[in-house]
Amino acid sequence: MQIENAKDIIVCDGVKKWFGDFQALKGVTTTIKEQEVVVVIGPSGSGKSTLIRCINRLEAHQEGSIVVDGIELTNDLRNIEKIRSEVGMVFQQFNLFPHLTVMDNITLAPMWVRKKPRDEAEETGMELLERVGIPEQANKYPGQLSGGQQQRVAIARALAMRPKIMLFDEPTSALDPEMIKEVLDVMKELALSGMTMIVVTHEMGFAREVADRVLFFDYGTIVEDGTPEHFFTNPQHDRTKLFLSQIL
Amino acid sequence: MAVTVATHERPPFWRNATVLKWAAQLVLVAFLAIVILTLRAQAATNIEDRGITFGTKWLDDPPLISIREGIDLQPDSGARALYAGIVNTLRVSISGILAATILGTIIGVARLSHNWIVNKIATVYIETIRNIPLLVQILFWLAVIQIFPALDEDSVGESLFLVTAKGVSIPWLFPAGGFYQWLVFLIIGAVVAGFVYFRLSRLKEERGGETYAFWWSVVAFVAIAVIGWFIHPVMAFWGPIFDGISSFFGAIPRVLVQILLAAVAVLAGTLWIRRFLESMRTPAGLAKLTDDDWFRMIFVGLMALIGAALFVFLPGISQTILNMVEAFFNFLGAKFSGESVAPLTYTTPAVELRGTGGFAQLSDQALVITPGFFALWVGVTLYTAAFIAEIVRGGILAVNKGQSEAGLAVGLTRAQLLRFVVLPQAFRIVLPPIGNQYLNLFKNTSLGIAVAFPDIVQVGQTIYNQTGQTFPVVILWMAFFLTGSLVLSSIVNYFNRRLKLVER
Repeated sequence: MQIENAKDIIVCDGVKKWFGDFQALKGVTTTIKEQEVVVVIGPSGSGKSTLIRCINRLEAHQEGSIVVDGIELTNDLRNIEKIRSEVGMVFQQFNLFPHLTVMDNITLAPMWVRKKPRDEAEETGMELLERVGIPEQANKYPGQLSGGQQQRVAIARALAMRPKIMLFDEPTSALDPEMIKEVLDVMKELALSGMTMIVVTHEMGFAREVADRVLFFDYGTIVEDGTPEHFFTNPQHDRTKLFLSQIL
Repeated sequence: MAVTVATHERPPFWRNATVLKWAAQLVLVAFLAIVILTLRAQAATNIEDRGITFGTKWLDDPPLISIREGIDLQPDSGARALYAGIVNTLRVSISGILAATILGTIIGVARLSHNWIVNKIATVYIETIRNIPLLVQILFWLAVIQIFPALDEDSVGESLFLVTAKGVSIPWLFPAGGFYQWLVFLIIGAVVAGFVYFRLSRLKEERGGETYAFWWSVVAFVAIAVIGWFIHPVMAFWGPIFDGISSFFGAIPRVLVQILLAAVAVLAGTLWIRRFLESMRTPAGLAKLTDDDWFRMIFVGLMALIGAALFVFLPGISQTILNMVEAFFNFLGAKFSGESVAPLTYTTPAVELRGTGGFAQLSDQALVITPGFFALWVGVTLYTAAFIAEIVRGGILAVNKGQSEAGLAVGLTRAQLLRFVVLPQAFRIVLPPIGNQYLNLFKNTSLGIAVAFPDIVQVGQTIYNQTGQTFPVVILWMAFFLTGSLVLSSIVNYFNRRLKLVER
């Protein structure tokens, strides 16, 4: 694979995380390289969302270490803010700011975190809206858009910070079936452009077609780790086989 | 099958929903009018039997009362006494609303705190305060102030703070001779500060980076205020201008104002109807007007005519407006003397001997918070703050957690997250219920009567005890509270409309 020589951009080592008595992550160790597209699959409650939320510290891990782009995630607020501005995130429920227009949603962080002038931020915003295919919606409010359009705005909002890594937390799970494709198309285009991506999803077609690597999660650990081909045709573990037999 | 459906035929009026709706309302209004007129006639006879006549003479007569605190302690007319009461009511209401908002917000946020002690203190506060009747709490605070040391001849003298059984006195800045001349500088300062803020914010948007717009605007305001403090007599030229305006209004004949106001009323009605018709206009021409539309237009037209008639047949209204404007500018004119007097005077609390018996009292030279004001103000503030705290807590909780996560995920700091994402959304949620609490506080100040605080209710009651003019006084009370509440709620509604979310 062409990315084998690329540099490591996310290094997780023995990451553990508890919610009260419940252990969500039981020592996750994995390395993600630049430009790699990693799809994370697994039953609900298996810890896959928790892992990517730990990577931009929306959740704090309790043991082990996570290093993103050479910066270790600790309680140092400056590091956290720096990493968050390098790591874009797209949520299942879009989480657009309902009181701001689409354009203001996109330009808010570039203007106040990156201190960009408004003109420049809006120019970038318009380019991104064209990239996700909805430039004509720039002055509408999120409540006036369809779910698929909202999720594409959310992707544009994350891209506006020019992140090195994009995290997707079940981006299509809250969408009507006919809108899933428009969001997946945008994500495919993004993957082809060389963005480092971690995608938590149930879209097996996307995993098969776009992923460089598939991680299968169960009970807070990585059960299976390999190429999509390996994962879908020749899984090693019984748990993976059972999961695949249920969903395919 | 031949089914004829006559869609455009007007139904007979007894089946026409619109006609019936309006007819029902008219009948109700007529019924209420008859009831009220009958009761009034009945009351008039009964009262006449007792030898009382209701009228407006008591408004002009000097009342035999002195008011404990406020703008006028020995009012020379009933109207003036009520006005002093109104000012006292507004003093408690406005300062109470400000304090309750600040305190309520702090307590509401504290209740969400992860700090155990802070959280529990806030919870205990809310649960205690809102489960005890407000009247009991006001009486409690009056009892509290009576624990403080009493005053006697030995306490005469000055000190920085005085907390006594006769009230609390704190150092204060009072407007003095040069105040109004300085005020012009403050207004200029505010305008300049606004301009600086606007320019620097624009600059930040155009060029990026940080321009510290807020801090520079503060600097501009303070600088102009300080300069104005020393050179305020240069504003003296406003004096003759205000005098001129005053005599200009004094010279306007009353008839002209009457005609003008009547014309405005008619014009407002006409404009409303024209705008209404405009909104009915479609590309295909005027939409067909329903019966309901006709009734609405007729109603507005009638109201405009009644308003115009009032101005024409009651010259007193126009005269009063004229007099007030004239007096206002006359008052302003006298304040711009050109003398260099300090705009504010600083005073410290003192105890002095006053009255025929030479009783020790708190001197008026500093700000005196009387026991009545203290008990009422603390009572309504703490009470309302408890409810506001719950509203604030609910508002913050109601902003989806995903909003904060999305804001953090794009790299906003905690402060930016609050400013741009959480507060604008929370504010929209809490505004209507907080507006309700403001109304409650305003109305609850009437409980001041229990601690002898001379608000409009207490003063009014004293007046009707002396004159027997119960009905006129009560009607004035109700008109005052109704007007105040409507003004408050229209302010809140205005902001509420402006903040409404745009949805599809």
